[in-house]
Amino acid sequence: MKKLRFEYSMELKFSSPVSSHYFALHCVPGDSLRQKVVMTECRVRPSDYASELEDGFGNLKLSGCCAAPHDFFSYCVKGMVETEGMGVWKGPLHPMYRYPSAYTRFEPEVVRFARKVLEVCRKESAETTMEKAVCAMHYLHAHFEYMPGATDIRTTAAQALRLGKGVCQDYAHIMTAVMRYMKIPARYVTGLMIGEGATHAWTEVYTDGGWYGLDPTNDLHIDEYYINLAHGRDYGDCIVDRGIFLGNASQEQKIYVNVEEIKDGRNSCVNGTAGG
Amino acid sequence: MRELIEHTEGINRLMARYGVKFGIYKGGEFHEQLFPFDAIPRVITHEDFQQLEKGLIQRVDALNLFLNDIYGEKKIIHDGVIPEEFVFLSSGYLPQCEGITPPKKIYSHISGIDLVLGKDGEWYILEDNLRIPSGASYPMIAREICRRVSPATFGNNSVVDNRNYASMLRETLDWVNTGGIPVIMTPGRYNAAYFEHSYLAERTGSELAACTDLFVEDNHLYYRDYRGKKQKVGVIYRRISDDYLDPMTFLPESLIGIPNIMDVYRSGNVAVVNAPGNGVADDKGIYYFVPRMIRYYLGQEPILKNAPTYLPFYEDDRKYVMEHLEKLVIKDVAEAGGYGVIFGNELSREKLSDLKKIIEKEPRRFIAQEVIDFQDMEVMDGEEKVLRKTDLRAFVLSGEKTRVWPSGLTRFSRNADSFVVKSSQGGGFKDTWVLSQWKK
Repeated sequence: MKKLRFEYSMELKFSSPVSSHYFALHCVPGDSLRQKVVMTECRVRPSDYASELEDGFGNLKLSGCCAAPHDFFSYCVKGMVETEGMGVWKGPLHPMYRYPSAYTRFEPEVVRFARKVLEVCRKESAETTMEKAVCAMHYLHAHFEYMPGATDIRTTAAQALRLGKGVCQDYAHIMTAVMRYMKIPARYVTGLMIGEGATHAWTEVYTDGGWYGLDPTNDLHIDEYYINLAHGRDYGDCIVDRGIFLGNASQEQKIYVNVEEIKDGRNSCVNGTAGG
Repeated sequence: MRELIEHTEGINRLMARYGVKFGIYKGGEFHEQLFPFDAIPRVITHEDFQQLEKGLIQRVDALNLFLNDIYGEKKIIHDGVIPEEFVFLSSGYLPQCEGITPPKKIYSHISGIDLVLGKDGEWYILEDNLRIPSGASYPMIAREICRRVSPATFGNNSVVDNRNYASMLRETLDWVNTGGIPVIMTPGRYNAAYFEHSYLAERTGSELAACTDLFVEDNHLYYRDYRGKKQKVGVIYRRISDDYLDPMTFLPESLIGIPNIMDVYRSGNVAVVNAPGNGVADDKGIYYFVPRMIRYYLGQEPILKNAPTYLPFYEDDRKYVMEHLEKLVIKDVAEAGGYGVIFGNELSREKLSDLKKIIEKEPRRFIAQEVIDFQDMEVMDGEEKVLRKTDLRAFVLSGEKTRVWPSGLTRFSRNADSFVVKSSQGGGFKDTWVLSQWKK
């Protein structure tokens, strides 16, 4: 078992005051087989109220509003999580994770890529779901270039494949789409990873009655150094920070994420930089 | 009845003055057109209506059970009655609604079921509309004006009074109300059915509200009136589609929705009429399975028939469709409002073989139906009586009990050879008379 201390904060500055600002945040981790939330503290400022509930996918969602004019908005989540093992959740599969979604449609690029993955699987005689998924992860990691700024939050799996480069969101979308094409149920996850950086994204596949995570951006199994925030069919279902407001202002955003391991009361940071 | 026909022009003029209009978008522009009224009514006998009523209640009850099941336990899928891809690939299925129990477990409060009367004298269900079916206001106001023009006609012919729609609707809203005022939410006056929104608000004693009048605070929904006073809303009869309802849950670019209303609804603090996510049950692909739902949930034989329908998804059906394409109607599951409907007999040989290829490639995308030979009805064209195709939209309201409004919207096609009777495709409407069992 590992103990992780995490901090995730976001600060938004508006060039002129905005009002009637509604927000919905997936920034608070919930419990799962692999992670137990020991304590969290979440502060949203400014805010008239914030209510916490579970959304249709089973994620914790914090929603609220700030009605009065304001020129900054921020939230900060801090806490401690105990993580153990690799399995995320045991339980029945929701059938929606078998089918393509808005970001993961079986467009020609996706189909072409998935066929190549299938070929590699055959060559390496990958048989079980996990072997095939790992094979796909290796192949994707080797054949897709990490490049911030090449894509944006609206880029689909097919579009990213056409470009051949992107960030963690694109890796996760391609992986999710390819898995589903190969008839392996898969879902998209946003979360945090050990180290300093930003929020991260990866893919979970369903096998043996449970969900297991794979991080194609880093070519790693999801282990005790990751914290799940939310999951869904694709990015659209688990946007960390969604907001709408009245006003004509430009925005400047600052995000800070830090996850560190607590060992014998002393903090030690395992090497690695989070980010996607 | 002759009296009514003689007054057709006057009735239409009055309706225009009341603003009985139908809005339509053509080439990116908004046009309002009148919805022409024809004075010759559709007459349904007492016995015929009793049968219809039983069948419609049965169907809507099964559809409500289906929606509870799909967003809950999904038993009908686990039991293999409906293949899961027809549910989870449907654009009407909204996973954001998973795990929500709507107040009183009602999903479809107002259902508009479209039927046609075959030449064999049988009613056939054409489609179910469980999202925001419109049209009840047209026969309501038409009857009101007709009664003024010729009051005796209705008594003499033992026509059942249909002026109770507003009170039926209000009772339905009250039944699911979670504590607060009722509001009817309109996207605004450029909506096709704006007349209906304002008319129903007035008749049911509900507030007519636009998105700017409604807001979420502390996980409750509020209405702000013209004095700036806020009142809690207990039930919202929203006349905007699911996609636009909540920009924080669905389309983020929606400017006509209410941010975070889905959270209020999920917490049980407001009833949303009809419930979001109903599109999964009135999908053209799901239509095929409604008779199975009735048997599965109610253990009864369906009283009303579906039009004979084939699903190319099933091999036997696909074979039949391929061999008889030239006499079938093909419908694209994703399209609505009379669009995406192809009549096999209108296609050239080349087009037929193209269509076959598409069906072969994407069998789940289509359903195929036999062309029903439905009864024509007389329509006045100037001084002359002509024959037109018609359908009937029956309104079924689910509250404490499921009830059928003893009337409905009878629409007729604009052209003699058109089988498509949709307000958005031209055409007009008639009053629908249900006769009383006590005849004069």
